[in-house]
Amino acid sequence: MTGEVVRPQILVRDVTKSFSGRVVVDVDELVLGDVPVEGLLGPNGAGKTTLMRLIMHSIPLDGGTVSLSRPGQRDVVLSSTRTSQMAGLGVVKSTQVITDFEHLTILDSALLAVTEARYERPFAAATDRAVRKRHEDEIRHWLDYFGFHDPLAVALSGGDKKLLDIVRCLLLQPAVLLLDEPTAGLSEDRTERVKAAVRQLASTGTSVVIVEHDLDVIWDLCDEVIFMAEGRVLLKDDPATIRANPTVVESYLGAGSA
Amino acid sequence: MNLDWLDAFLIFGAFKVVEIMGLGLLVHLQLGLTRVANFGVVGFWGVGLYAFGVAHLKVDWPFGDPYQFLVCAAIATVAAAAAGLVVGWLISELDDDGTLVGTLGFATIVVILATTQQGLTGGALGLGGLGFPYDFGRVKTHEFTWLLITTAVVALIFVYAWRVHRTPHGRLLIAVGANEALARSLGKSATAARLRMMTVTSGAMGLLGAMHGVMVRSLEINSLDVGVTLAALAALILGGTARVFGAVVGVLLTVALFDIVIQFYLPIPDGWNTQALPVAREAVFGAAIVLMLIFRPQGLLGQMRRPALMRRLHGDW
Repeated sequence: MTGEVVRPQILVRDVTKSFSGRVVVDVDELVLGDVPVEGLLGPNGAGKTTLMRLIMHSIPLDGGTVSLSRPGQRDVVLSSTRTSQMAGLGVVKSTQVITDFEHLTILDSALLAVTEARYERPFAAATDRAVRKRHEDEIRHWLDYFGFHDPLAVALSGGDKKLLDIVRCLLLQPAVLLLDEPTAGLSEDRTERVKAAVRQLASTGTSVVIVEHDLDVIWDLCDEVIFMAEGRVLLKDDPATIRANPTVVESYLGAGSA
Repeated sequence: MNLDWLDAFLIFGAFKVVEIMGLGLLVHLQLGLTRVANFGVVGFWGVGLYAFGVAHLKVDWPFGDPYQFLVCAAIATVAAAAAGLVVGWLISELDDDGTLVGTLGFATIVVILATTQQGLTGGALGLGGLGFPYDFGRVKTHEFTWLLITTAVVALIFVYAWRVHRTPHGRLLIAVGANEALARSLGKSATAARLRMMTVTSGAMGLLGAMHGVMVRSLEINSLDVGVTLAALAALILGGTARVFGAVVGVLLTVALFDIVIQFYLPIPDGWNTQALPVAREAVFGAAIVLMLIFRPQGLLGQMRRPALMRRLHGDW
């Protein structure tokens, strides 16, 4: 596929995953990144989050392969790549569960995301201020944008931690960004900011995939929606078509939702 | 230099204080920042002690001191660093319990090797013949000078630990210790970070072991006692694992209290110094660990104060 793609794409092929004998993901073939923003939709237990974790190789696959294609670059098999190498390849994922680094401040988190490995060695001569100077504009941009008024404090609320997770992802300048319930627990104003940031990122060439239970976010943001149930991809189409599909209405949205 | 006012045992007590302080600072980097529960401190320290002793006594060097000391100390440091790298790699996928048992197992292996490899180490009988890398004439002057040199080395370790908190390296260690999965998702190799930290800190522990060998001028199997690990851990847990000054405060309240204040300035009965006091010392250190973990697990100095540090470093943000 080298040289054929116009956007970064993730190709999922024959991927299976079971927990305690129960199949939670069974995807024959799925291409993510056909369009700028895609939504993964489905009832609880459909396998959406597990699929994202399989793509990131944070859990091992039972079978199949996941690969990354980027315009003008060689394909990379993600399913045989270490999780810690994913960000370097441009594949970045936010976390579903609210999580943070205990003790580290908001600015620490941002600096951690942008600091190159050579500055993190035990006897590296670079000071923290030198690293900050190299990345100050981008860090300041995103922290200001999301309203972090005191970056030298520790993020305390769940909303702040959720947004900080997204900030870290954005600072990594991803080629493919997987967002797992990015607006869960956020206020309306902050949700709109996340949506605007995603649109801006997608417009610059990043492929974004979103798992979200707030359907308004999916309908507003996504150019295409993938509907999953019981570990399988059942449908892939534009939001209006998915929204009107009887299977989706019956098994997920409920009557009268359209 | 007239040192008649100074008791020789006091010099050795102060040396132990400084030495344990150095080990405590290194354990602070391992446990306090990176959350690697190293219960085999004496193993890395012992590798340094024995590597130094064997290199010094068993190799016919074409040069004398101080070069012989410098080369042998370098060998001790590299040997302990290599041990840290290997042990760090072996425990890299283990949880806290596994790390604790694994490092303890390593220390046990070191003791067994030092005991059984009699041709090299002298076994249970030990080896004499180590000495100071200088000659000023009087033993007390030698020992006092060595105390000053060791203090300078530990001061460098303190400066290094203090600086780690202020560098991207320190932030990475804290991140890996706090949330390894999240750190990996940001492209950080948690394993590489831990291995580098273990290599550096174990190497420094080995150097302190070599310096101990010079001070005691012999290899004695009894020196590879769990009391070394216990003293460093008790001091750090008492002072506060997450704070650089935790090891300093903790050692002053434990090792300095027992090995200097009680031993030299309290009217304890004759014979206690050699029998009852060492036993009481270890019992109190063990009790201190248990009590602190129950009632104040963050130690006397409390939690890491990262926001305050960041305000000092980036107050103009």
